[in-house]
Amino acid sequence: MESEWEWEPMDEPPSPPSDSNSQTHVFDKDRHVTYLEMMYQLLPWPYQNQEINRLTLAYFVISGLDLLSALDCVDKEAVASWVLSLQAHPKDNAELNDGQFYGFQGSRTSQFPPESSGDLSHNSSHLASTYSALSILKIVGYNFSNIDSERILTSMRNLQQPDGSFMPLHTGAETDLRFTYCAAAICFMLEDWRGMDKEKAKEYILNCQCTYTYIQLMPCFQSYDGGFGIKPGSESHGGGIYCAVASLRLMGFIGVDLLSNSATPSIINVPLLLSWILQRQATDGGFQGRPNKDSDTCYAFWIGATLRILGGHKFIDEKALHGFLLTCQYEYGGFSKFPGEIADLYHSYYGITAFSLLGESGMNPLCVELGITDRAATGI
Amino acid sequence: MESDEDKEAQRPRIPLSQRPEWSDVTPLPQDDGPNPVVPIAYKPDFVETMDYFRAVYQADERSSRALSLTAEAIHFNAANYTVWHFRRLILEALDADLQVELGFIENIASGNSKNYQIWRWVAEKLGTDAASKELEFTKKILSIDAKHYHAWSHRQWVLLTLGGWKNELDYCWELLKDDIFNNSAWNQRYFVVTRSPLLGGLEAMRDSEVSYTVESILAHPENESPWRYLRGLYKGNTQSWVNDHQVFSVCLKVLNAKSNYVFALSMLLDLLCHGLQPSQEVRDAVEALEVSGTGQSDSDLGKTVCSILEQVDPIRANYWKWHKSKLPHAA
Repeated sequence: MESEWEWEPMDEPPSPPSDSNSQTHVFDKDRHVTYLEMMYQLLPWPYQNQEINRLTLAYFVISGLDLLSALDCVDKEAVASWVLSLQAHPKDNAELNDGQFYGFQGSRTSQFPPESSGDLSHNSSHLASTYSALSILKIVGYNFSNIDSERILTSMRNLQQPDGSFMPLHTGAETDLRFTYCAAAICFMLEDWRGMDKEKAKEYILNCQCTYTYIQLMPCFQSYDGGFGIKPGSESHGGGIYCAVASLRLMGFIGVDLLSNSATPSIINVPLLLSWILQRQATDGGFQGRPNKDSDTCYAFWIGATLRILGGHKFIDEKALHGFLLTCQYEYGGFSKFPGEIADLYHSYYGITAFSLLGESGMNPLCVELGITDRAATGI
Repeated sequence: MESDEDKEAQRPRIPLSQRPEWSDVTPLPQDDGPNPVVPIAYKPDFVETMDYFRAVYQADERSSRALSLTAEAIHFNAANYTVWHFRRLILEALDADLQVELGFIENIASGNSKNYQIWRWVAEKLGTDAASKELEFTKKILSIDAKHYHAWSHRQWVLLTLGGWKNELDYCWELLKDDIFNNSAWNQRYFVVTRSPLLGGLEAMRDSEVSYTVESILAHPENESPWRYLRGLYKGNTQSWVNDHQVFSVCLKVLNAKSNYVFALSMLLDLLCHGLQPSQEVRDAVEALEVSGTGQSDSDLGKTVCSILEQVDPIRANYWKWHKSKLPHAA
């Protein structure tokens, strides 16, 4: 989600010198498969500063391969077993209500044997890691009846704050919309909403009916410009609007294809939001995350997927977007953030999702609300 | 203020295994299990640091050498919240000087860290005294990248939690003077105008803000930010927005200038949809923009505006077409 978001690698991996024009005019599916297969085998050392989010890196690789219809190189059982090994387990049932979150940890650096003494937070389960874990398990077809949803969901409620927002960790951290989204997606995948108070979560997202009185007593999440930032008051942002709209959709507070059903009143100001979203397509065809910023590959997903949920994807100039994305296609596979740069895993994944949204042949369709293929989401 | 750990981190690194003060500790290797997925090709110094970290964390050793070690681990991986959390526990146990800690954190944050959680904890502990320091620090980050999302987010948190609103509107004004296209600064301006306890709130500030915004629009009508801001000034009060002479007046001025008028047309369209009764002046201005060959001149001003937008904003042509189809028929 950009240089402003937690999940982007700070250093680019080293690459062989480029001796040819890296631009191609078609989506180079085979090279992207090769790139992801290489990452699946070994991530180059600059990704070591992303170690804490290793599960999320795995999600990018595996979901990317699934979108490219290239899951055959993935040992599904080994993957499932590795993911499950990152699940936090309380020592006994009494611990279930000790205030901790028993989800999935992001990596081995935050995982310690349960008999460790001292700091209770040896369990560093994280909402984003849990979302990544469950997504991967869906993709590899793991039988969800074997997952102890009760434990995950009951303890997840410890993360929800009085204002409806979610912390990502029980040890405390800033709350924002990304974690509301993760919580909603987790409940949706586990088909059980006991993990969160949906009404309160909705309140956090909307927070007021957008009617301002003389002195602003309550923050309103939908920003003055129709968009959403990741916190009340924050600047509207492509990632923020995706988290807001996808969360509301997953929780069932907005229906499908809002634009066609414009007669029904909505809890969000849809016309204003739509106007803001569509203005994100820049003259170079790409999508920017915020007004007056450069186009960046990943927003083709954050913005494109939001439009798909709202029913407004037909309003973008697909040809222009396609053209922009190809300028970010790296000759050795993957996608870069900006045209002509080196690929990184995060932008490669979102570039690939964008091509799935554009209906590129040979790719699996994306379930936009969950960020995995339709096939994985439905289990068919 | 640079901490001791900081200075240490800048010297050429001596492996922990060769440091006498660590000779009693057995490093704890990472157990990746039999089939690790997406393994990372860690560098040896990263591995060693994390192995020693795991050892002290497991042993729950809250000492000053452990504190130094967390600094080294953080330099390798500033996003590691487990390390940050343990560091916080050590700081509490040692009753450490939090001003020094703030310096350390600021150093890490300048290197583009995204973990602001411990930053907040320290700032909260230091209380309102920390406010001006925090505002100075975020200002430093913003002077390098005036749109740094997390810096803005942290700045807003400081203002809401610790105060320091006095100069914030001026600060926005300065940033916009540097770059009128800085949407983050416009957003911050809205934040200040609507939430500062020192100003009167949106209604009280509206007139002066509208004047400022109109001036900015006229200087650069192609700038999306002030147009959105202008609409936002009437949030929750759409009728005022429709009826305010200043609003359709700025649209008219831009249309008459016949240059960079896409946002002006778009706002006019919104006004019409919310009940604006267009004057003859407005009709004439729109008509003057009609590109020949757009087809029949529509008696419905809204539809005419949509047709023009289809031509002059072609990347959104599908949207303008759809918008036109949704307009109610002229009475």
